[in-house]
Amino acid sequence: MTPPPAMAAAEMMTPEGPKADSRANRDILRVMENTTFGWLSLVVLAFLVLNAAVSVVFYQVYKGLGIAGYSHPIFWGVYIVTFVFWVGIAHAGTLISAILYLFRARWRNAINRSAEAMTVIAVITAMQFLGIHVGRIWKSYFILPYPNQRGLWVNFKSPLLWDTFAISTYGTIYAVFLYVGMIPDLAIARDRASGWRRVLYTVLALGWQGTSRQWKAQTRTVLHLSGLATPLVLSVHSVVSWDFAMAIVPGWHATIFAPYFVAGAIFSGFAMVLTVLIPVRRIYGLERYLTLYHFDMMAKFILLTSLIVGYSYTIEYFIAWYSGVEPEQTSFWLRAFGPYWISTWIMITCNTLVPQVFWFKQARTSIPVLFVVSVLVNVGMWFERYVIIISGLSREYDPGVWGVYTPSVPELTILAGSFALFSFAFLLFLKLFPVIAIAEVKEIEIHAKAHGGAH
Amino acid sequence: MPTVLGVFEVPGDVAAVATKLRDRGYEDLEVYSPAPFEEIDEAVNPKPSAVRGFTLVGGILGALTGFFITIWMSNDWQIIVGAKPFASIPPYIVIAFELTVLFGGLLTVLGMLLVGGLPKGTPGSHDPAYDARFSGEEFGLVVGCGDRDVAEIDGLLRAHSAKEVSLVAE
Repeated sequence: MTPPPAMAAAEMMTPEGPKADSRANRDILRVMENTTFGWLSLVVLAFLVLNAAVSVVFYQVYKGLGIAGYSHPIFWGVYIVTFVFWVGIAHAGTLISAILYLFRARWRNAINRSAEAMTVIAVITAMQFLGIHVGRIWKSYFILPYPNQRGLWVNFKSPLLWDTFAISTYGTIYAVFLYVGMIPDLAIARDRASGWRRVLYTVLALGWQGTSRQWKAQTRTVLHLSGLATPLVLSVHSVVSWDFAMAIVPGWHATIFAPYFVAGAIFSGFAMVLTVLIPVRRIYGLERYLTLYHFDMMAKFILLTSLIVGYSYTIEYFIAWYSGVEPEQTSFWLRAFGPYWISTWIMITCNTLVPQVFWFKQARTSIPVLFVVSVLVNVGMWFERYVIIISGLSREYDPGVWGVYTPSVPELTILAGSFALFSFAFLLFLKLFPVIAIAEVKEIEIHAKAHGGAH
Repeated sequence: MPTVLGVFEVPGDVAAVATKLRDRGYEDLEVYSPAPFEEIDEAVNPKPSAVRGFTLVGGILGALTGFFITIWMSNDWQIIVGAKPFASIPPYIVIAFELTVLFGGLLTVLGMLLVGGLPKGTPGSHDPAYDARFSGEEFGLVVGCGDRDVAEIDGLLRAHSAKEVSLVAE
């Protein structure tokens, strides 16, 4: 009689605990357990850059907003540009986890968790800029309607107030959405972890057992939150766009702004999801869950939203010409051929021309192409906001008060710091929470097993 | 009262056995599953979830709060613009909408906690039937029954290809 193979013998000798655990559990939980050198060095790098930026913020508190490159008439600069940029990044999460959920697009399962995490982190990053932009960070709470001795209330007719409500609602609902979706996965981690992680996941999993009553309550909650988040996400970037469109600055005062900003936000958000997931998939060997099919679908979304953005650019120029309003026409002419022509052409190239490669399936399924395009889209979308805000303000009605703004080193440091904050928080998220929704992956796998792969 | 636990691998089997048990009058059923499955949900909890009520109430409360705070605050701190009323409804729709979503969302989560009976302690301490396998790929079905019914339930579970059947509590 031949002795049993070594593996089988080992399994027979360890009857304790789940013997053959689900493959999805092992693969995805492994991301949290392995601390690689690459991860560690990225965390350290992000932390250092973040610290540099925080020091600059303290310096700005000490010196005042004079350290920014503001000069009359431009007092909205890199801070607001970066704020709008990060709010935009935050939009992919909702599209993927709420809108595609309502449309029953099954392929979202592989990417929804990371997109939701990015949403929450991007909103947190964006919110930092409200304080930094205002300058007197310690007075940021003035924007909230709180009872005070002066009997003064905020002015709800201001788009900036709508923005406060929109962004804080979005941040709150998304943090909740992320958490509710993660409870079953936290229970999976709890059942398999030891030490401090076991304590952490036990607390966070709330004693989840996966009973049918709990699943029903949880799936209904996700459904209702999706239903609420879908109009919410459309409102958030619309409201951000009204910060500009409600003003009478030429180049801003356009009714197309809301849909134009929402499409741009989804466009940049999807690009950021790609930029982040491509390295994560590679480093942690998640090719089984994040397949080329998922990247193909995301590339199609980028192509679609790129076309909407391109259409909006065209319509903006057309309306400027067709309106016959001279300041409007001048503003757009100078956008393309004035002092900010480089930014404008970077924006047009990166946002409308480069994504056209996604008409070809080879490009949509080639990892290097996807990565390069996604980075270029992010660059382009940052410049889009730069062009709208800066070129708009620098060329208003009276040529006597035209001016030029150049970002200062402190502003650019804080811009770099925002990327560091985003990366730092996302890297910590990778270590602490399952980056792919395990229960949702299993739902598909168990179905496939039960029906012989019919799904 | 004895509690019988059956372990299954296919959601369809769990649903079938749960339907049969309910037909025979065993209402004290609990199913542990690693992921949500509609067939199990229909077999065990056919009634619509009460969570939706929380969403509705939260949404309505949010909209009312939104209009109330904006209109009241505009009249309490008056900003005079021409001869116009202090409160201006169209811009306040934005605030009311945001608060509809905020309150609706938060109350939905409260509903999830109440309806789902969360939070609880660690499953091991309050629920002897729970096993880490149920957050793997297996399903557990727990039936509370009388002493004389154990044999019948055991047979029924095994007939629906239960991997194993055990007595959790006497």
